[in-house]
Amino acid sequence: MPRMLMVTPYPPQPDGIAAYAAQTVQRLRAAGDEVEVLSPGPSAAHHHLDLQGPRGALALAKRVRRYDRVSVQFHPEFFYRQPISRPSIVKESLALLAVAKAARHIEVRVHEIDYRWGRRLSFAGWATRRFWAAVDTVTVHTERERADFIKAFGVKPRRVRVVDHGSDFIAHTTLDRTTARETLGIAPDAICLLSIGFIQRHKGFDRAVRAFQQLTTNPRARLDVVGAVRLEDAANLAYLAELEALIDETPGAHLHAGFVSDESFDRWITASDVIVLPYRDIWSSGVLERALLLNRPVIATDVGGLREQAADRPGVTIVEDDVELTQALAQLLGPDTMAMWTQDASWPSGVARADEVQALISGRATARRGRPIPVVTVARQTAPAARRDQRLRSLAGLGLPTVQSDNPLASTVKRVVRRLTAWQVDPIIHQVNALHQATQELLLERSGEEGSTPTTLANTSVAPDDLEI
Amino acid sequence: MTARGRLVFAPSRYGPDIVGGAEAVQRELAIGLAKRGWDVEVATTCAVDHFTWENTLPAGLSEIDGIPVRRFPAVAPLPERGVHEHAINLGVRPTLTDQYRWLNTGMRSPELYHYLLDNQHRFRGMVFAPYPTWMAVAGTQIAASRSVLWTCLHDEPYARLDVFRPMLTGAAGLFLMTEPEHDLLHRTVADPAPHAVVGATVPMATAYDPDGFCARHGIERPFVLFAGRREGAKGWEELLEAFERATIRLDLPFDLVTIGGGKVTPPPAIADRVIDLGFLPDDERDNAFAAAAASIQPSRYEAFSRTVMEAWLAGTPVIANAASEVVVWHCERSQAGITYRDAFELEECLSFLASCPEEAASLGQRGRAYVLEHYDPDAVLDNVDRVLDSWLNEPWEP
Repeated sequence: MPRMLMVTPYPPQPDGIAAYAAQTVQRLRAAGDEVEVLSPGPSAAHHHLDLQGPRGALALAKRVRRYDRVSVQFHPEFFYRQPISRPSIVKESLALLAVAKAARHIEVRVHEIDYRWGRRLSFAGWATRRFWAAVDTVTVHTERERADFIKAFGVKPRRVRVVDHGSDFIAHTTLDRTTARETLGIAPDAICLLSIGFIQRHKGFDRAVRAFQQLTTNPRARLDVVGAVRLEDAANLAYLAELEALIDETPGAHLHAGFVSDESFDRWITASDVIVLPYRDIWSSGVLERALLLNRPVIATDVGGLREQAADRPGVTIVEDDVELTQALAQLLGPDTMAMWTQDASWPSGVARADEVQALISGRATARRGRPIPVVTVARQTAPAARRDQRLRSLAGLGLPTVQSDNPLASTVKRVVRRLTAWQVDPIIHQVNALHQATQELLLERSGEEGSTPTTLANTSVAPDDLEI
Repeated sequence: MTARGRLVFAPSRYGPDIVGGAEAVQRELAIGLAKRGWDVEVATTCAVDHFTWENTLPAGLSEIDGIPVRRFPAVAPLPERGVHEHAINLGVRPTLTDQYRWLNTGMRSPELYHYLLDNQHRFRGMVFAPYPTWMAVAGTQIAASRSVLWTCLHDEPYARLDVFRPMLTGAAGLFLMTEPEHDLLHRTVADPAPHAVVGATVPMATAYDPDGFCARHGIERPFVLFAGRREGAKGWEELLEAFERATIRLDLPFDLVTIGGGKVTPPPAIADRVIDLGFLPDDERDNAFAAAAASIQPSRYEAFSRTVMEAWLAGTPVIANAASEVVVWHCERSQAGITYRDAFELEECLSFLASCPEEAASLGQRGRAYVLEHYDPDAVLDNVDRVLDSWLNEPWEP
């Protein structure tokens, strides 16, 4: 029987590709294939190997020879060290070329890649194209991805295939809608809009919240944003904080941040009325596939290959921009809400005073918004106290110096030292950062007690008096 | 295959020689449910020692108590595990990525995982235990709607990790053993999966031979007993230190007899007062409980405390660490045990035991009545059986 190696993140991991891979492995093994799995870190896979950097790929090259077929679930983060630089693209692409050459047959399923790598007239571009040219079969999820991929990397068209994104998907819940709602605390008569997936700016969940803010006059409506931060880097954590603040000020919107298992993922979809995918950027969407698998309608933005993925599939509404997104949500929430959104209510005649106009503006906006603008407080502190606190607030969290260096030997030595000292250093860093965070929270709390000035989010400059609008 | 369907128990370790309350209960459940018409099998690792996870037993199919047992190799923990473990025990809440790293650098069994992945549709139910194990997390992710968890939730740093949340909220069902565990579940997750408090099986000994036990092991002085794993997590080292202080200060008459696994390294001052009998057969273990002046439970993380039940069943009073909410609950309900919050209180407990042996013995008698009333194995198994029937509704392949 032919032996196959699948290279992929694998459960238990908070990773959509890991769940996707497990379903594929299950199908292949059920069909009688002898499949082993190799993951980038320890997991339920048979083997694990740090795949990042040229050394990782070269170690993989040694292993793939033992198998008749190799299937790789490809995402740049699995193989290319972050942050990605041109030299690293060259080194790692050439090491991956060695993998492709060593394998008897290699198929790479592309989940994401930056096309610019292949378009560059540079050594990095050349190396990347060499790697992809050596892959026997590249699979993507839409024709558009296929065309873009071929154009960017110059791969022979016959080697790039489109596979149905949902072909291996199975439902992870058997709960009905009523029970699913019960378990999640959602009222039976609620109209539940759901944005679910990793919380990253390019997923655009804030767009759904902003659209929802304009339509909350329907008391049964709710928007649930569900997901975890995939990589806890500064950008993603900042986006999470931004999303939290936005949702805090949006009645009817709820954030459920944290890892979502396959089962709870499908339970949320089952409990919802519509899935809202306001992506800013995406290749193709596994969430869309899961929603259709569970017979839930989808509203998605027209990015990447989504329009093609949704083509001829009932239940998917593709919107061009935020206005269309809001209109689509309004349509769903009922005629009253729709009227509120689309009305062009006339202004009363005879209003001459600015303050009356201002009051009308405020009233109309409040009606549209469904609530007054919330009041938040910022501290009013004495100058010395503010300066003193500022010094503390500006302290960054403690981290470790990077082990990466231009000199490979230096990187290795640093990595060894890091591993040898981790058992002592890591707890100290954790403790210092916990103290740092506690101090920040204390300062914030104390500043509120010392005296605070209410102001609006829109105006956080000097505000001597209440500025509630 | 029977009409009731197949159940697979997937504990990390399994067998008659495995020390541990959760492991023992799993075995009793497997046997008891097989007798009630379920087609039961066990999928587990080749390991016996939960520190080294060395594959001591052969891989493959065997049979224990008439139940087929499939063993798969365990992959030993990586050194990195200790780093994360240390941070978690310091009270640090790691990132989700680090929590998964902690989980995946502990003992794993990819072969066992793939056995369950490949055969999931054959099983009406898959039973995992206890909650803070790789096997439970990985296994319940395969088919949550077929997965039930013998939870063993403790009020410990692990319980607050996000990595366990999907399991505690998404499994087909969670078995709980006590009301404090039930309360803890609701404090830990707002939206727990279906759950039921079913108690736990406690095998009923038919006869005790305390005098014979002392004679066979050359024990001449009255003794207090510690039964279980001799390790930090069970409070063993703390007990040794406190027992040393109490023995010297109060000139206590007791020896400390211990049975179970793990290293016994008593302080030199009381080395001759600590008697390690290692593993004992079940009946001799029961005799040890009956012969003891009291059984000591120093662990702060108990989900049920089987040893407390075994002691009470033998009519022996219990002295327990008050940090364990569950054991305090048992002691208050039964009025059959006393608890301590620090070394001073432990000294006083031992002093009471030495000074008032009759009163202490009467505590033990109340304990026996409590166990017989609440934890009769047949009643517990009937309850588990009924609850399983209601939770497991997925079709399964014959």
